[in-house]
Amino acid sequence: MSGPRLKLALEYDSASRGRHVRDIVSELKRLHWVRGALIVAADGFVIAAELPGTIEVDSMAALAATLGRELETSAQRLGRPSFCTALFSADDGTMFLAASRIGYLVVLADQQVNVQAIRGALAEAVALIEAAWAPGEAAG
Amino acid sequence: MTILRGLWTARGGREPLTVADALRRAEQRRREGRYAEAGALVARALELDPDNLHAHLLAAYLHVARRAPAPAREEFRWVLGHDANHARALLGLARIALEEGDAHECRDLLRRALRFYPEFPEAAALLEAVRTREAAPRPAASAPAPPRVERLRLPGTGRALIIGRADGGLIASQPVADDAKDVSEALARTLGLAAAALGRAGLGPLHRAIVEDDHDAVFTRTDGDLVVSLALPRATDPTQGLLDVNRLWSATLHELGLAAGPPAAAPSSTPADTPVARTRRVI
Repeated sequence: MSGPRLKLALEYDSASRGRHVRDIVSELKRLHWVRGALIVAADGFVIAAELPGTIEVDSMAALAATLGRELETSAQRLGRPSFCTALFSADDGTMFLAASRIGYLVVLADQQVNVQAIRGALAEAVALIEAAWAPGEAAG
Repeated sequence: MTILRGLWTARGGREPLTVADALRRAEQRRREGRYAEAGALVARALELDPDNLHAHLLAAYLHVARRAPAPAREEFRWVLGHDANHARALLGLARIALEEGDAHECRDLLRRALRFYPEFPEAAALLEAVRTREAAPRPAASAPAPPRVERLRLPGTGRALIIGRADGGLIASQPVADDAKDVSEALARTLGLAAAALGRAGLGPLHRAIVEDDHDAVFTRTDGDLVVSLALPRATDPTQGLLDVNRLWSATLHELGLAAGPPAAAPSSTPADTPVARTRRVI
């Protein structure tokens, strides 16, 4: 993968997981041309967010979680595999969405963003979450 | 509560906890994505106080977080049974209704929530998205004839092509498949929500999308009225996928009589620059 990579230490002790998710969001936010990032649970609850002040976090999170669930339930209804990542491109920027065990990772970026770098970073972030949250732990 | 007990078993001992402590710890676990532990703590709280509204609401959230809408609906309804205008329970049920394809029920629930709490940003944002979907152009009474889709050449690795409208109406598909109509509707729902999210983020109108699963990468182009979506193998280079969907977009406009001149061929202007630069350009 070219471009910047997430460099995070795996932290498995449960007490540090809150910091761990915040670190993941911070690292995504630091990538070139990224305006903001968040992790939102499937119920719309914001686990961690670093968004520009112009964006209302709860509204954005509610829409992102609803979009993530729509992608999942549509795939389920159609008998297809659930989505891993999605990218939505607009006039003034791009929104990336990735599914993880604990919720959805969202990255908002400028139009000039290096798409492959963000996709790679999201894949790494999801892998970190998968490694740190044991299968039964998040899902219950 | 039975549901919660069945799903989540308390871990780490059974030390005495007050309801308030259990719920506070559950909220903390929820903030860390530790839904199983949070669920066990909520179950403890409900053992101590079965009618605790906050605990039932938290239980509902945790069910949604683990993608279990049926027990979540039960808990949200329990909350509404005790507080008929509970805005967050109404929002929760509205989101489940939308997941299940009932936009009408979703809109009604959101309006109820906003009637009592007009400053409820999540409900307002979702209602706006649902309204936008309803405002999408409806099929004309005399719909235009399907484009001569057989003239649209799928790329060699192309798996499926869907041409539809923003309201979900299917115009044509290749190959002709029984579920093409359902795919077109699902695509429209997804694009509608994505457009609302992009708008909320101040990024402008949606033009392109790439959705990847374990097998396919679906490349989509839209102008807010027409949707052209092409499924390719997941390993497809994004630049190539976007060029392919752009070519099909131009050809579709031509077939629909929406563009003058011959259908555009796949842009040949992909000079020897970097893949990254090319990806930026086509997006």
